[in-house]
Amino acid sequence: MSPNTREVLAVSGLSPEAAKLSRIWEWFVVAAVALLFMGAIHLHVMLSVGDWDMFVDWKDRQFWVLVTPVSMIMIPAALQGVFWHYFRLPIGATLGALLLIIAVWISRLVGWHLWGYFPFSMSIPATMLAGAMALDAILLIVRNPLLTATFGGFVFALLFYPSNWASLAPYFLAVEHQGMVASVADLIGYTFPRAGTPEYIRVIERGTLRTFEGTSVWVSTAFAGFLCIFMHMIWWRIGMAFSTQRFVPNGKRMRQMMGLN
Amino acid sequence: MRKWLSAGMAVIECFVGITLLGASATALAHGERAQEPYLRTRTTHWYDVTWSTDKVAVNEAITVTAKFRLFGDWPQAVDLPETVFVSNATPGPVFIRVESFLNGVPARQSFRDLEIGRDYEYKMVMKGRIPGRYHVHPMIAIKGSGPLVGPGKWVEITGSAADFSFPVTAISGEKIDNLETWGVADAIQWHIIWAVIAVLWVLWWIRRPLLIPRYLVLKKDREDLLTTNTDLIMGIVLLAVCMVLAFWSYFHVNAKYPRTVPLQAGMMYTPPLPLQQSPVNVRVTQAQYDVPGRSMRVAMDITNTSDKTLRIGEFATASIRFVNNNLPAALANIHPDFPRDLLARNGLQLSDDAPLAPGETRQIRFDATDAAWEIERLTSFLTDVDSKFGGLLFLFDQSGGRHIAEIGGPIIPVFRANQLALAQ
Repeated sequence: MSPNTREVLAVSGLSPEAAKLSRIWEWFVVAAVALLFMGAIHLHVMLSVGDWDMFVDWKDRQFWVLVTPVSMIMIPAALQGVFWHYFRLPIGATLGALLLIIAVWISRLVGWHLWGYFPFSMSIPATMLAGAMALDAILLIVRNPLLTATFGGFVFALLFYPSNWASLAPYFLAVEHQGMVASVADLIGYTFPRAGTPEYIRVIERGTLRTFEGTSVWVSTAFAGFLCIFMHMIWWRIGMAFSTQRFVPNGKRMRQMMGLN
Repeated sequence: MRKWLSAGMAVIECFVGITLLGASATALAHGERAQEPYLRTRTTHWYDVTWSTDKVAVNEAITVTAKFRLFGDWPQAVDLPETVFVSNATPGPVFIRVESFLNGVPARQSFRDLEIGRDYEYKMVMKGRIPGRYHVHPMIAIKGSGPLVGPGKWVEITGSAADFSFPVTAISGEKIDNLETWGVADAIQWHIIWAVIAVLWVLWWIRRPLLIPRYLVLKKDREDLLTTNTDLIMGIVLLAVCMVLAFWSYFHVNAKYPRTVPLQAGMMYTPPLPLQQSPVNVRVTQAQYDVPGRSMRVAMDITNTSDKTLRIGEFATASIRFVNNNLPAALANIHPDFPRDLLARNGLQLSDDAPLAPGETRQIRFDATDAAWEIERLTSFLTDVDSKFGGLLFLFDQSGGRHIAEIGGPIIPVFRANQLALAQ
């Protein structure tokens, strides 16, 4: 046990036995929280980001880069608020992103690959781990929710595209198919049919948003960063609101009814 | 008493469970039967549908060709075919698409501005991937309305799924051994790298007293104990690692794959097939659907506006074909491998099968009776908000030439025996 740990236990006032029981209880809480938030954040991302995260041929330079960070910062920001406010633990965002990626890969394996026969190459998910860890680190350094939202929120979006490009670049090689150019991602989406997902349903870059180096990625990233600042502020407060216990005072009649007089 | 109640509950639960299990049959085909009749009878009419084979091995090809007419009396409830995707209706990626065409134009992208009342030619080449027996239909999907499915045929895929491969070569020369597995190992590797760093960061904190001790210490205003200088240094290191690793990986992979393209989002266009003038004018004077008799009966005034003598050979709607069995040309129009369950056994019964001379107008009634109306769930004409029917009439001239006309109009359900009797 480190000196710091001994001092923490001493200041907390817990007896050695109580500290031991508390530790055991914490593992139950960790397990329960992990499962609960794994489900919650997975559901949230599937409903909000949805197909952009699900399919490789939805990962464009405009909407995917914009929608994913803005949606994926929500629950991590709320968890950050809760963990920091009550425990000074800068692990909320990392935990959220970690639980998400575990849940997502489980669903890709079991639901999409084993049950639906879709190849993994079609459903490579994005990860927010880089941005989430940076967000937690910034919180630890600045120790202030407003500054965390301002700098951390922006960095959260900034790291999204570069950290995922390493996984996804192979899917944007050019191939020739039926005399036309396609990316490997387009070809995968075409080759392995999704009966209920025609090509036109993709909400992807279809315009001429020409900017730096002919790509719209960094414009979308900057805008996503801007939105993430506010998303972080809002969801930190949502996390606080959902973790605050309030008591409604009992009136005289209620007390009589409950036999508390 | 309690024991008996528990046992009783257990029995009930078993019963419910078995019932539910039994009721949930595996869904492998015929999803198109869930669509409304007006959708199936007044939008796309598929004809000349052929399947090159009904048995393929994994990696072997099957070609589906067809033509379809976009019905002139297009339902108001269905969006116009301004954006259309050429597809196939199979249970997921058990087949892969190799190439597809609409009027000979490559159909990987969606098409714009298809025209009502015109014909298009469909071609889809697929390969077997997952062994099994599947229903294979041609299909187009219309933006705002969804899939419009053609007739289906059972096709068997033999062999082993493990033998499947789909190699591709990129324009810049990279060889992709199998599209199924391309890039997956790299993606998983990077996710593991990030996950390991994340797990280490979380473990750094949860190895210490976690919840109650930290909460109590915070309450006592001793948060200085909760985050030490070492923690701060670890945080700075973590931030630096995340920034450096993210951008290093970005530049590294850009150097490995310098030539990439964005997702392709353009749309294709093709003019329809040359206009086939209808050789007849058809005016439906009365149409009934006999519910208990499973029969559609139509009375029409038909005028031969062509210069050829014509006979009615077939009425086709919602992929069901009612063929005039007395007309050899009509029988010859049935491909030998066309699914028999979509050919009405009774065929098409006509009140007057005599040839229609050029310029002649005649009132003809036809009777299309088959259990297929119920099997295909087309009897829900009754619950449609738009009680009209549609279909194609195939007429044949004396030299066996085929001509196509559209027929449609309001239809009324009847629940008693034959009210629109065929003329004797």
